[in-house]
Amino acid sequence: MNANASHLEAPPEMSPEVRALHRRMLWRRRLSRGFTYFVGILLAVWILAPIYFIFSMAFTTPETVRSYPKGVLPFIPFSLETMRFFLSSYGIVPGIVNSVVVAVITLVLSTIISAPAGYAVSRYLFKGRNAFRLSILAVRAFPILILAIPLAVMFINLNIYDNVFSLALMHTALALPLTVLVMSSVFASVPYELEEAAMVFGCTRAQAFVRVVVPLVLPGVAAAAIFTFVMSWNEVFAATILTVRNRTLPAQVFFTLNSSSEPYQFAGAFAMVVPALIFIFLIRRYLFNMWGQVSK
Amino acid sequence: MNEDSTPSNSLGRRRRRDWTPYLLILPTVLYLLLFFAWPMFRGLGLAIWNPEALLALRAEATQDSAIAGKLPQGAEVEILERQGNLIPPEEQEEAANLLTEIWFKIKSQDAEGREVIGWVPDRRIRVREKDEEERPLAGTVRPKLGAKADPLTSVYAEPNERSEVVGRLESRVRVDIVEQAVLEVWFLVRGQNKAGETVQGWAQSRYIQVFGDEESGRVDRGNAGQLTAEYIQKMTQDRFFKPALYATLILTLLIIPVQLVLAIVMALVVQARLKGNTIFLYIFAIPLAISDLAAGIIWYAIFTQHGFLNSILQGLGFIDAPITYLSVDTRYWIFIAIWLAEVWRATSLVMIIVVSGLQAISEEVLEAAEVFGASLWERVRYIILPLLRPSLQVALILRTIFALQLFAVVVALSGGDVVTTLANETFRQYSLLRNPHVAASYASFILLLSVGIAFLYLRTIRTQQELEQS
Amino acid sequence: MAEIRLERVTKKFGDFVAVNNVSLTVKDQEFVVLLGPSGCGKTTLLRAIAGLGMADEGRVLIGGRDVTYLPPRERNIAMVFQSYAIFPHMKVYDNIAFGLKMHKFDRETIEKRVLEAASMLHIEDMLDRYPGQMSGGQRQRVAVARAIAMKSQVLLMDEPLSNLDALLRLEMRAELKRLLADIGATTIYVTHDQIEALSMGDRIAVMKDGEIQQFDDPTIIYDRPANRFVGGFIGNPPMNFIEGQVEQTDGRLSVRIGGFRIAPDPAMQARLRPYHGRSVLVGIRAENMEALNHPADDALRVRVLVIEPLGAQNLLTVKIGDDIIKVSTHPSFIVAPNEDIWLRFPVDKIRWFDSDTEIAIRPEM
Repeated sequence: MNANASHLEAPPEMSPEVRALHRRMLWRRRLSRGFTYFVGILLAVWILAPIYFIFSMAFTTPETVRSYPKGVLPFIPFSLETMRFFLSSYGIVPGIVNSVVVAVITLVLSTIISAPAGYAVSRYLFKGRNAFRLSILAVRAFPILILAIPLAVMFINLNIYDNVFSLALMHTALALPLTVLVMSSVFASVPYELEEAAMVFGCTRAQAFVRVVVPLVLPGVAAAAIFTFVMSWNEVFAATILTVRNRTLPAQVFFTLNSSSEPYQFAGAFAMVVPALIFIFLIRRYLFNMWGQVSK
Repeated sequence: MNEDSTPSNSLGRRRRRDWTPYLLILPTVLYLLLFFAWPMFRGLGLAIWNPEALLALRAEATQDSAIAGKLPQGAEVEILERQGNLIPPEEQEEAANLLTEIWFKIKSQDAEGREVIGWVPDRRIRVREKDEEERPLAGTVRPKLGAKADPLTSVYAEPNERSEVVGRLESRVRVDIVEQAVLEVWFLVRGQNKAGETVQGWAQSRYIQVFGDEESGRVDRGNAGQLTAEYIQKMTQDRFFKPALYATLILTLLIIPVQLVLAIVMALVVQARLKGNTIFLYIFAIPLAISDLAAGIIWYAIFTQHGFLNSILQGLGFIDAPITYLSVDTRYWIFIAIWLAEVWRATSLVMIIVVSGLQAISEEVLEAAEVFGASLWERVRYIILPLLRPSLQVALILRTIFALQLFAVVVALSGGDVVTTLANETFRQYSLLRNPHVAASYASFILLLSVGIAFLYLRTIRTQQELEQS
Repeated sequence: MAEIRLERVTKKFGDFVAVNNVSLTVKDQEFVVLLGPSGCGKTTLLRAIAGLGMADEGRVLIGGRDVTYLPPRERNIAMVFQSYAIFPHMKVYDNIAFGLKMHKFDRETIEKRVLEAASMLHIEDMLDRYPGQMSGGQRQRVAVARAIAMKSQVLLMDEPLSNLDALLRLEMRAELKRLLADIGATTIYVTHDQIEALSMGDRIAVMKDGEIQQFDDPTIIYDRPANRFVGGFIGNPPMNFIEGQVEQTDGRLSVRIGGFRIAPDPAMQARLRPYHGRSVLVGIRAENMEALNHPADDALRVRVLVIEPLGAQNLLTVKIGDDIIKVSTHPSFIVAPNEDIWLRFPVDKIRWFDSDTEIAIRPEM
């Protein structure tokens, strides 16, 4: 502080040019920030507006759905009539039940199968580890619809066609690559040292896993499971190919698309969107674990 | 790029051959082999393999005898002889739709009063008594008609006309039916194979369509497969093939560049360190979890004649009456609607990939560029974009492959025939036209397109990596 | 001429004041080290000079030009970053040439400057490589070459050696010092490593809590710390501080430590007089005390707690009253833990500090 004393003169007056520069800089900063907000809000509206439209259509009267011109902002009367009409239509409630059953089987199967593989990839160095990772990534990039036809033929031959369980088998195959990747990054986020510490203090490897790793990875595993659920819930192509009478919700809506009324379709679309909204909220922290990884 | 997915060095010591990791990945590997690799292989097979193209003729009327020759499907044949083979009782249910003969084991007395036990075809017996389960118990020998006919009916040791004759019965003699057997009929046929050679051998009746004269017929289907281009030809000659291919390619070309640009803009907004940027991130990510069918219907709600677009335009006074967008006459509007719906739905995935790519760029690197004189645009051009290249390429591959599978959005917005795509044709061939082979051809075609494009992209990625590693 | 002048620079992050009203003048071609513990604001100050994060208050002048509100690229500076910040997708050549290209130099000049900078750092064989194929030390050289290729009159370095391993750091330290002397740019160098600061800087500015504690030559910083913080931060082991009572006997002031009295030299007598009857802090470096293993009149008896042989010297931890201090002795000085030794305090090596403000009490010049 003593040292500073020698420099403590009155701050020199800012020259007008510098002051102008200061103003310009502040303006430029405000402008660029404002512009970024503007772009961001524009994009947010672009994403949210269609969702709002379908929401307003799903929760109003069928007459309003058919009316023209429609009011846009909150001028649409709220009513549960359309939704009720949709839910009481043929095949919708069983479709929802089927969708949930397929999705639950899928998430249980894929979690059980992928958890050990994710653990192996994150914890062990083994010959073929990279090959395994790469092939998982490659599988993820393969067009999935080619699977549906041969699987349908196969299931017919095995007499398990048109069955929620066989559809879940297919959905598990679709979800597995991603869940393995998520699992491995979830396990990798728990330092191995923690497991070692537990073993040093007297746990067996299995005990260390159950007592130390499992509680820590549970949220991540749950996120992967939710993701699997939504993926299965959303899947249309395989569901239309592999089911005839036991249709899932998307398949049911899809097959009646050309013969159904607009209120039915819009309510159906909203019913399919709901889990998506919940999903994004629940797994927001894990978004990058799931999709960011592909860039490796 | 993601360091957390590499095990730390402390794991180096587990080099000793340890089977645990292999056991752990085994379920995944098996599952993917069973439900991914095998169906994929089968899918390709369905497209190019006709499992019924050829009929193998046997030297004897048994499944395990030598193959005497092969006849193509549809070949005309002479039927020289017929023979029944016993079908074991446990298989009789399945044999219901086969051409079969029924033989009875009977007990009776011949003209000399000797007891005769043996087999006769059911056509020689008129059944007179049945038990409560409709099983025949007794009957009489049918009389033989015609002057030249042998008046006696032969009884065989085995249920087979070639076996030893154990006795002969007169017409109308009463017989007790002890047992019955179902026989599968084999025909000895002669016909010409593809090379023009005449081949002769036994075939099961189910493969032969017999003509009215009972002496000639045609190979109805085969039991041996053959490579064939017929399904692929059927696909390429289908009147929807070219429109589907063009629509798929046009939509892919329209969608992907816009998505890349939009995703980069979104990512830059998210990464701009503004207050509330995580809210932007979550909003931008919502469509990630919306199915293509739902997205299609949502955009249908906008573009339909009484939809939101017309409502808004009319509300603002731009139009006086609703415009019809989604009709055969305004196909380009359908394309625009599909394009918007796909850009709306699927940009999130690219955005997430780009954001995580951006996050991997060190802050100091960007600052260094700034200090050394790069303007904002120069930083984007010389630093950010080159460093994002691997992420962008991955996004490009994934998005291209997904765009080639465009399906439910298209159906929702066009009803599935005004504008059609390869994936939609796959669905139609399978579900509506009941032709899994042609459907598999479409699917395989999409697979080949995807692999080809991915390979092209990967080559460009590899050149970059090779440069870095050489 | 590229004098750097900071006038009352303040930088806040929310409520946290990272740099508080700092004024500092770095002379043309001078090598100044900003030294301080992590979180003291030294990097923030450097970034304010670079233009990465502008000052909230105050002014920054480079070569007499007010650059406070200019973006970095218009400040004509070069910088070496802690993580090197080498562009991973560019070859070494393009990395070094980057700044020159951005400033639109012509091709020949760029090539000449790049080769020159590369040969100064002995990386001329690596111009075709990508950073991914280089070691940390080599990347560090690229970062320095990129900065000096700019030939700007101001060079800013943000802990450039902190990511190197100890041996390499030692080697690079000497090389950097020679190099920077050669190019003659005004350099501000941020580090938390006091050895680096002492060995390299023309002057050192010691920072704490966003304020400069002392700005002086390295020898003065070491020998005459401006306050207790500087004394305790600089030197290994840090300066010892012992609480002493100022007393007066026979008209002369003395400072009592335990049962032992130290008579300050005459120049200090007047300065210590106001402290009569109060306590002061006696500061002395470990190497400035003389240890004896026999009693002497002018020596204080202390108990040895720990002995740490360090090769060239032995470091003893001893107890004086309630204070624990470190004493370094020649290895030939034999002593065992829990034995007593006697310490002699050369009066001219003692530094005095106010025990409340902890600021040095200096003889009047």
